[in-house]
Amino acid sequence: MLEGNIAGPLALIGYGLAAIGPGVGIGILAGNAVQAMARQPEAAGMVRTTMFLGIAFTEALALIGFVLFFIAGG
Amino acid sequence: MNELFELPTLFTIGDVDITRQIAYFFLAVLVVWAILYFGLRKPKAVPGKFQLVIEELVGFVRDGIAKDIIGPEGSKYVPYLLSIFLFILVGNFFEITPFVNYPITSRMAIPALLAIMTYVIFVFMGFRKNGLSYLTGIVWPKSVPVAMRPLVGIIEFFSTFAIRPLTLAVRLFANLVAGHVMLSLLLVTGFTYLFVEPFEFTFNPLWGVLWFLLGIAIFIFEMVVAFLQAYIFTLLSAVYIESSLHPEH
Repeated sequence: MLEGNIAGPLALIGYGLAAIGPGVGIGILAGNAVQAMARQPEAAGMVRTTMFLGIAFTEALALIGFVLFFIAGG
Repeated sequence: MNELFELPTLFTIGDVDITRQIAYFFLAVLVVWAILYFGLRKPKAVPGKFQLVIEELVGFVRDGIAKDIIGPEGSKYVPYLLSIFLFILVGNFFEITPFVNYPITSRMAIPALLAIMTYVIFVFMGFRKNGLSYLTGIVWPKSVPVAMRPLVGIIEFFSTFAIRPLTLAVRLFANLVAGHVMLSLLLVTGFTYLFVEPFEFTFNPLWGVLWFLLGIAIFIFEMVVAFLQAYIFTLLSAVYIESSLHPEH
């Protein structure tokens, strides 16, 4: 375990790295959802619900990073 | 920054210290109860404005979440889903209510409690509906090739029993903490630039106004976040319950 001052900043960098993947993933997901809604407006409700679900599952990785940030940086 | 989340004791009842957290917790319970009681006390055939709003909310949870996700048997879970939806919504909106300005869901205890409740319900319903095949269906999934089953089983087991409740709680918590810190920082910075002695003369007051405007923009954004997080928590609770009722999907 690292001592003192460096543990906090390192944990912060780790969280930043952990947030990249979900960021890209949510971007792709939301973009495609907008495309689907534009092509088929009558399915917008279903697409929206599925989009929120997908975002929630993709976000999990960033959230694990967030928890680890608190554990390692605390 | 810890000052934002470590609250002084307001008063003491017996051995229990009442902080703002606890006080607002009971206030939120009271508000949810009052909304439902006064909204639906005397239901009229032609609803008034308030009753209309409440009926919209109830209908949204019942048709948009419970029936849509769980299916026809979803109406059994509407009371639970409606209570957590309204409670989280009120708790989140405390963040942007003037003079309250503190979201109770930004302390881990409350999201964790709600997530554990959902966890108990979906695990219990899974075992009751499917017996032991609920567990074996997760650790030994029939729909993948035999060689892959141990690996997928381990991943599925952890994602169902550990990651699900954890992310459910942390998502709500993290969003509200971020919102609270962001709002506080922007508004306090604006206030400092405009009114506090040493800064008042050294900076152009325009900076203070700019910070305040940014704070108000975030304020409106937080309204959306408050609703969205309540919606997502309820939606995911419904999805988890559905997936333990019909594990083959």
